[in-house]
Amino acid sequence: MSLVILHPAPRMSVEGLARDSGLHPDTVRQLIRLGLVAPPFPDDAAAQLARAVRLRRDLGLNFAGAVLAVDLLARIDELELRLARSPSNGRYPR
Amino acid sequence: MAVGARDYYDALGVSRDASTDEIRTAYRRLAREYHPDVNSDPGASDRFAEISEAHDVLRDDEKRRAYDRYGENWKAASAGPGPGAAGGGGAPRGGGPQGFEGFDGGFAGFGGGGGGGSVGEGDLGDIFESLFGGGRASSRAGGRRRRGGAGADGFSVRGSDHEATIDLTLEEAFRGGSRRFQLSDGRDYDVTIPPGVRDGQRIRLAGEGGPGVGGGPSGDLMLRVRLLPHPRFRLVGNDIEVDLPVAPWEAALGETVPVPLIDGGTARVKVKGGSSSGTRLRLKGEGWPERDGRRGNLYAIVKIMVPKKLSRQERKLFQELAEVSDFDPRTQT
Repeated sequence: MSLVILHPAPRMSVEGLARDSGLHPDTVRQLIRLGLVAPPFPDDAAAQLARAVRLRRDLGLNFAGAVLAVDLLARIDELELRLARSPSNGRYPR
Repeated sequence: MAVGARDYYDALGVSRDASTDEIRTAYRRLAREYHPDVNSDPGASDRFAEISEAHDVLRDDEKRRAYDRYGENWKAASAGPGPGAAGGGGAPRGGGPQGFEGFDGGFAGFGGGGGGGSVGEGDLGDIFESLFGGGRASSRAGGRRRRGGAGADGFSVRGSDHEATIDLTLEEAFRGGSRRFQLSDGRDYDVTIPPGVRDGQRIRLAGEGGPGVGGGPSGDLMLRVRLLPHPRFRLVGNDIEVDLPVAPWEAALGETVPVPLIDGGTARVKVKGGSSSGTRLRLKGEGWPERDGRRGNLYAIVKIMVPKKLSRQERKLFQELAEVSDFDPRTQT
């Protein structure tokens, strides 16, 4: 996933991730144990963590399900991007 | 406080005598479709807020009765705050301009009237089962057993990221700089385009996504760049290609001709005598900006053009040429 970083964030710690995601550090650690993100944390790690928690809360997933959903959504993003860039397809999905 | 004037039953697409099961099923289906983390369209989050608010009221017998009786003003008309509002603690701060108040209030109330219960327990658990193919008969009890993460009182989370597409011409993407961008919901922004941005890249507008919950930060708005096809220039990797139309005699005899540049300027290139269509003339450093500050190349590609109509004399000269020349392009390699 290519991302234009306009405000580059320094390398993240668990505390930094907790701050940026609005989550309790224990929740962040739990999601790290489940393998949602791993150090060195990518720039969108906080967004991924928050996404998992929102999915869990609103769709009633457990954390393992939410981690899976976040993974799958990220892969869909990636594939849509590749599809859009493939020369046979000048059009963008959606 | 309502998200919209829309009737809660209409919002969920169920009849007024729908059973609790029907309401829950409708909510789940719509939530999967409009959840802002699944559907990144900025309009989806408003729709999801509406669905959540409707579900939050209609799933609760007491609230539903009050709503059936008093309609839109059910909250004011029914005595005292509901259990969700009472247990919510910091809930009122969630009230945003887009009407997220009911949205947040609903979350605070999810733990049930007990106050301080963990978030997302109870019948939420069986949604997981139905999403991922487990059985659902015993799921209610299973859901109860699941441990929540943060307690409801301290619960907070960052808002979702929204995504929209920003169309740029090649010139705009090349130049970069400030540009006005309007979202479908009417909000508009001055966006700083990094020079040399490419198709599919995202520009992040920090804090312009969905609002956070419980004091969590807002999400970001991601603008995905789509480069519009250009009538002249084509972007190929770091290089730009442009057709260079030349007359047959210019191609045969050689000529210096103007080439348009992506920055709006013009360069002059020498077409050597004997150039056929497809010959690529390189203009170094006139291509697309690369990360390291260098630029790719511009390739002007010779394209021999002939007049649609020939004058009498042109025809005569071409005929003469045809008689004199023994050139056969089909035997060339």
